[in-house]
Amino acid sequence: MEIAVVGSPEFTLGFQLAGISTLYNPEGEEETSKVFRSLLTTKGVGIVVVDSAVLSALPERLRDRLSESVTPTVLGIGTEEDTTLRETIRKAIGVDLWK
Amino acid sequence: MALDIKPTRSELINLKRRIKQTKNGYKLLKMKRDGLFHEFRTLLSDMIKAKRELTESYVLAKSRIDLANAIEGGLKVRSAAIANSASPEVEVERRNIMGVVVPSVSGTNLKQAFGERSIGFTGSSPYIDEAADSFGNLIERMVKAAEMEATLKRLLAEIEATKRRVNALEFKVIPELEEARVFIQLRLEEMEREETFRLKRFKNK
Repeated sequence: MEIAVVGSPEFTLGFQLAGISTLYNPEGEEETSKVFRSLLTTKGVGIVVVDSAVLSALPERLRDRLSESVTPTVLGIGTEEDTTLRETIRKAIGVDLWK
Repeated sequence: MALDIKPTRSELINLKRRIKQTKNGYKLLKMKRDGLFHEFRTLLSDMIKAKRELTESYVLAKSRIDLANAIEGGLKVRSAAIANSASPEVEVERRNIMGVVVPSVSGTNLKQAFGERSIGFTGSSPYIDEAADSFGNLIERMVKAAEMEATLKRLLAEIEATKRRVNALEFKVIPELEEARVFIQLRLEEMEREETFRLKRFKNK
């Protein structure tokens, strides 16, 4: 399975340099949502790497769907740690165990 | 609870059997919940570490590619990126933790050595190489983190479902069954007393 990268051209460039060829550079909210929706249903993509800034700008429902999906697993990367998993833990267990 | 139970002896026996069965299931589910939770706790500390490392590698890779961009020019970096056709692949297998199917991700060709990058000596520069190297490292870490994240998500969903089931049994199903049992028992005793009284009246006549 492939690794897909979604984000600005600057974000995807480094991954391209490391050999990943499935890159998406959507512009604007609508296009971004569309890319994610199609990625959720695409077979053959194992991991989706997203700029966490892009991830946090998505509508909440789509973000929930992305964080629930297992194949592909959506991984937010950024200079700040993304807190989607932390939120999920807090919701499921009721206590913030992320320490 | 609406007590629409027939106060008969056979019903009581059935009910007693059901209560025993339910309590057994409740105990098992509780153990499952605790087991899952234990598994989750051990994985979580690894996950936290992996996430932190991931962020660190990203920051490093980002600064390196920015450096490469600044020194070599965006065009050169871009052409090197396009030239690299090695595509990292991930393999997703299924693993089983206490009945929860979790993915096990392994990657191939995640990182390439200088020669394998098909950029060539003239097309590249140390800065570009360093950037590519650190992104290779980043991808390696990503694969690990992705596996753990998916595992944790599945475990969390299962823990939540089990917790709900345990609570439903403990606070809804078992108390209701107990209530029904008490009702039948009291009713049967009452009927017995009525019967003895009736016999006494009958004898006195």
